[in-house]
Amino acid sequence: MADRFGPGDPVRTRTLDPAGHTRLPRYARGAVGEVVESAGRHPLADDRARGRSTPPQAVYHVRFAAAELFGTGDHSVTVELWEDYLEAAAGRDPVQDGSDHER
Amino acid sequence: MSRINDVGGMVGFPAIVEETDEPGFHADWEAHVFAMNSALIRRGVYNLDEFRDAVERMPPAAYLEASYYEKWFAAITTLLAEKGVATPEELTGG
Repeated sequence: MADRFGPGDPVRTRTLDPAGHTRLPRYARGAVGEVVESAGRHPLADDRARGRSTPPQAVYHVRFAAAELFGTGDHSVTVELWEDYLEAAAGRDPVQDGSDHER
Repeated sequence: MSRINDVGGMVGFPAIVEETDEPGFHADWEAHVFAMNSALIRRGVYNLDEFRDAVERMPPAAYLEASYYEKWFAAITTLLAEKGVATPEELTGG
């Protein structure tokens, strides 16, 4: 299966809060960010933690504006996220590239 | 639901102090816990994500009080009991 997203794609993280282990931190739920790059394919940690056999799926580095996550701050935060955590988002305030101090 | 490990973005925690020339382990028992966990994962007794889940299932107060490798030891103890490898009594009985 091909990767669903590529660099530059706007994505929104899911708001589902699963019972048990997940690699989507609470502070990054329901937030809009931008895919930076692919980070390979790996079995979903949520499934492995529950003893379920699961095929590898795409993992991405996704960059968020700090203000999107915390309501304040002019830096960015990059999180490694599985494809299951993401849905396509309409382009919104583009995340600043490179320098974390210009907006 | 979020558990006690998922505190990113919360305030109220003390600053992280970085030790200069910090050793890999601060006591021999920490190295033993590290080695035991690696061996148990390699033997397929449990996987890394089950291990992380077991750390996160610690009672919140105990989690906050425990040091890094104390959390590891608690998770190993939990998993060995759940997988039927050893009971907590056997582990503390020596």
